Amino acid sequence: MTRSLFNISRRGVLKGAGALGLAGAAWPKMALSQDGTVLTVRSYSDLQVLDPAFRLAAPEGDIIREIFPGLVTNAQGDDWTWELYAAEEMEQIDDVTIFFRLKDGIMFTDGYGQMTADDVKFSIERIADPAVESPYAGDWAALSEVEVIDDLSGRIHLTEAFAPLWSSTLPTPSCSILSRRAMEERGEMTTEPFAQSGPYIMTEWVPRQRTTLVRNPDWPGEPGGYEEIHIVPIEDPSTAELGFEAGDLDYTWTAVSSVQRLRENPPAGGVVVEKPSLAYVWMGLNAIAPPLDNPLVRRAIQHAIDRQTVVDAAYFGAAEVSTGIIAPGLPGHRDAVLYDYDPDRARELLAEAGVSDLFVTLDILNQSERLTAAQVIQANLADVGITCEIKQNDSGTFWTLGDEASGDYWQQLQLILGRFSMEPDPSWATVWFTPEQVGVWNWERFDNAEYAELHRQGLVTLDPAERDVIYKRMQDIMDESGQYVFLTHEVTGILHRDTVSPALKPNGEPLLGGFTPA
Amino acid sequence: MLAYAAKRLGLSVVIVSVAMALLFCMIYLIPGDPASVALGPRASEAMKEALRVRMGLDQPVWTQFWNFYSSAWRGDFGNEVLSGRPVIEVVLQQLPYTLALIVGGITWSVGLGIPLGCWAAVKRGSFADRVVGVLSVAVIAVPSFVVAIYALLIFAVSLRWLPAIGAGEPGHLGDQLIHLILPSLAVGLGWVGYIARMVRASMLEVLEAPHIRTARAFGLPDALVTYRYALTIAILPTVTLLGIGIGQMLSSAVFAEIVFARPGVGRLVYDAILTRNFPVVTGAVLVTTAFFVLVNLIADLVIGALDPRVRSSF
Repeated sequence: MTRSLFNISRRGVLKGAGALGLAGAAWPKMALSQDGTVLTVRSYSDLQVLDPAFRLAAPEGDIIREIFPGLVTNAQGDDWTWELYAAEEMEQIDDVTIFFRLKDGIMFTDGYGQMTADDVKFSIERIADPAVESPYAGDWAALSEVEVIDDLSGRIHLTEAFAPLWSSTLPTPSCSILSRRAMEERGEMTTEPFAQSGPYIMTEWVPRQRTTLVRNPDWPGEPGGYEEIHIVPIEDPSTAELGFEAGDLDYTWTAVSSVQRLRENPPAGGVVVEKPSLAYVWMGLNAIAPPLDNPLVRRAIQHAIDRQTVVDAAYFGAAEVSTGIIAPGLPGHRDAVLYDYDPDRARELLAEAGVSDLFVTLDILNQSERLTAAQVIQANLADVGITCEIKQNDSGTFWTLGDEASGDYWQQLQLILGRFSMEPDPSWATVWFTPEQVGVWNWERFDNAEYAELHRQGLVTLDPAERDVIYKRMQDIMDESGQYVFLTHEVTGILHRDTVSPALKPNGEPLLGGFTPA
Repeated sequence: MLAYAAKRLGLSVVIVSVAMALLFCMIYLIPGDPASVALGPRASEAMKEALRVRMGLDQPVWTQFWNFYSSAWRGDFGNEVLSGRPVIEVVLQQLPYTLALIVGGITWSVGLGIPLGCWAAVKRGSFADRVVGVLSVAVIAVPSFVVAIYALLIFAVSLRWLPAIGAGEPGHLGDQLIHLILPSLAVGLGWVGYIARMVRASMLEVLEAPHIRTARAFGLPDALVTYRYALTIAILPTVTLLGIGIGQMLSSAVFAEIVFARPGVGRLVYDAILTRNFPVVTGAVLVTTAFFVLVNLIADLVIGALDPRVRSSF
């Protein structure tokens, strides 16, 4: 008797099910980092462009840092300092001159030879070149030229002192070193890197699934802590948290709203770390949109908002209230705002302004933290007699609301709940509120000549004490305009396995090459 | 049969054309400037303008519509805004993951739905029939993203039997299948209920048919009568239902791909809408629309081939 493929007995089905069950139970499910060979980390977006001059998001910067090293990099720890990377020696000769000498023996892959000072010159001058149209040209706004002394050493010449140089230019991918020959031969670089030279080499990119970095045996510096790093793009932080709890990830950022829950009940084998974020969240008031064109109304709104309650509600007690746009630890961080919660004073100001039954709109990004914050603000405003309508927008719409080039909604925009991230220099926070940014990113249309002048001074002042005074005054001016209610710097929540020792910048951003087995 | 096939094919072309027009209108009406969103805060106005020109957004709306229409019919969806990769390449890279998810979902729905439907029909009026009825309605009512989250919490987080995220090791079929179990369950579970209800209803009708009664009168075994003679006829409406079901599963795939952090067309479109990457949105939506129309065309042709009454009534 012959049996066809589909002629299966009941006993056969049971045997098959049993075998499947055993196979499932025996499936090896363990954190890959346990053997110290593979580290699996989450990034919040997939890579799109690996050319340092055109990088789009921080996760690309994390990869670029490992495969195209710069002269220096951020040091891990709680203070914003730097350490040598591709450079063996760096010295600030004077306010406008920096000497560098490269490590000997840094080799580019794909046969592009050893890294030289000429490659440094090419890479830096390329980003600064207006013809290249790099969005990061501003990082080298003060560059005059890079002088090549010999194969390994050179000098960076600036036109004037540039305070952010050591904090937010040199340690970032704006100083990543590319091979001149490779770039001239091969041109554009998007998702397929060539002539890599860092402690890791990118060997594979499976779109929306994984980017693989493999330790570079030819790197003359400190070798990476893992043989391989797998970077998994997961946009949703809740999914990433579940992925971590299921054992599929070794390191991830968490949602701010999850920090308290994870702190109180960390997953098995997981360590929760909280780091102060540099980001800043604020409510902006568009000064040209009635009734906010009345300074008394704006001041009343400043006094109406119970910032502590807004932040506690939105971030479940995990984040602190801020005093401005400059985070603690940076020059210019203030101790307090000038106009804080005082609902009685708010009512007095509204009476003084002779207005009643006010109606305003509050535009927000459609995220749960923002919505909760907006609802508390709505209740605060109602308490002083102002009706507020919350308008939720998806990210694509939200980020163009105040942009004059994207339509005319900027004229109707009234209250906005904004959040910007930044690099560790106060100028990164203040730059978006200058008069040049009105209608671009300055949606409050805050226009103050003293502020603009102070911003310029802050860029060329190297003394930290002087910079502290400058940036504090700038935030006072913002407060006085009545166009800002500063809410929080948030907090960065991090989850990592207890078998992993992460290398983190002071704000919690990863330095992947510094991760080691614990 | 040829005339029937030609008519169905013509209708499919019309459907795709209308879908393209609707898609263009929807994209045109979405607020937000793609150049600003794509290039980020540090881009200058000149850079944004250059990108707008590259995307053809500086052209009059009718020119944009014509360019979109004529290019799409040639299969040219342009290049991705920032990486410059051909959109068709980007979409086709993601499509197999979504197809695998849908095939997995169909496997769950057919593999569980048909036996349950048959069983309920054979046990008509019994306690088992009522249980299957209640369960069917229950799984239809539960949204796929709820199934996804609970499946993930139970089988991946609590029991740690199955992986929570990703699509498995590239090139490792076993790992990819294991990674497919939970997402495909989330996509297919609702359809278990639909198919069970449909098969039960069809079976009850067919089991009363004269040829089945004749077969029983001849003394053929119950199992042979039920599964060989009744089920083969009763299963026909399920083919049509599955044609529609694939469209529904494509929508569910978006949630499954986000919750399980799987690559796929659903997540590609979702991300592309958020970043206003319109060439990718149009390319991905049109490819999936064409796929859906093709599947329904095949389902119609299969039904037409099996049932002459359908051909004559069209």
